[in-house]
Amino acid sequence: MMKRLLAIGLILVIGYWLANGLAGVPFGEDRMLVGQYYLDNVKQQTGAINAVTAVVVNYRGFDTLGEVTVLFIASTGVGALLWRRKKERTAEVEGSVVLTTGTKLLVPFVILFGSYIFIHGHLTPGGGFPGGATIATAFLLLYMAFTAYEIPHKGFEKTEGVAGMSYVLVGLIGLAIGGYFLFDWIWQTWKIGTVGELLSGGFIPVIYMLIGIKVGTELSGIIDNMIKEGVSE
Amino acid sequence: MNAFAITGEILVLIGTFFYMLSALGLIRMPDVYNRMQTSTKSATLGSLGVMIGVGIWALGTDFGSVAWFTKTLVIAIFLLLTNPISAHALIRAAYRNGIPLWEGSVVDRYREHMEAKKEEGDEE
Repeated sequence: MMKRLLAIGLILVIGYWLANGLAGVPFGEDRMLVGQYYLDNVKQQTGAINAVTAVVVNYRGFDTLGEVTVLFIASTGVGALLWRRKKERTAEVEGSVVLTTGTKLLVPFVILFGSYIFIHGHLTPGGGFPGGATIATAFLLLYMAFTAYEIPHKGFEKTEGVAGMSYVLVGLIGLAIGGYFLFDWIWQTWKIGTVGELLSGGFIPVIYMLIGIKVGTELSGIIDNMIKEGVSE
Repeated sequence: MNAFAITGEILVLIGTFFYMLSALGLIRMPDVYNRMQTSTKSATLGSLGVMIGVGIWALGTDFGSVAWFTKTLVIAIFLLLTNPISAHALIRAAYRNGIPLWEGSVVDRYREHMEAKKEEGDEE
């Protein structure tokens, strides 16, 4: 009881302190310094309509590369923590007929929609990470509905590595052509496509396709690792 | 104000009314199964009304286009297909975890079926 009261008091003090700090920030005013530059130049500099993905992939591509690395380390870490020689699914009850049939019908559509999200990252909200997470949801559905389902491991883990390497490779091509890492060589040198159409946005769709595939396979791998239990031989 | 806009507005109104009924059913009904029954059905219907209504409403305004209607139609079909499945999975999981029926219920054929199946399994 005493502990709880102390914790509530501490949280209230911290909350008051944060609110006091935020009270000095005026809302509803134009406070953009760098933001205005992005909004003014995003179309001719990157060819993308979606300013967020342009900033994330193009202006600040290093952050995205770091995020992809974080996800990769998380996936590898889960794999290392839960490593056992022999692991099997231990689920006992198969999903009901309604669930399995529904899953069978829905999974292709979920994968299609995930691909739609990451292919259109430069035009509509979304991008590689939400698209990849949607694809992983499809595999989670399969794991939940069927007791015996397993992702094709060999293909999945290789695809993941190849996608991650291709991202760095695209950046290195930029380094060779433009002089710095993650230089947008497709848009800056060739200007392919008109702004607002699918075939535009420089290397944003390319990179987002790679990230989508990578995130999708990675999260599926994490699900696979966590859902299995060790079997004593 | 034209026919599209008016139809859309009426559909949205009907949809929100069914949303309200669904929330009311959650409070009013005695056990899990009855609550799922009232809330999923009316929430699905309410969502369909609201979404299709928004699509048709957008057809009637000067900034809207067919793209809105297409999108809402796709979302509505997706929801129509997935909502019953999720409700089914929830109820089945609830029953298998031994959540009791309302004390007023009179017949439980599923339990009889499962017990019969168990006995068959023992005999073999």
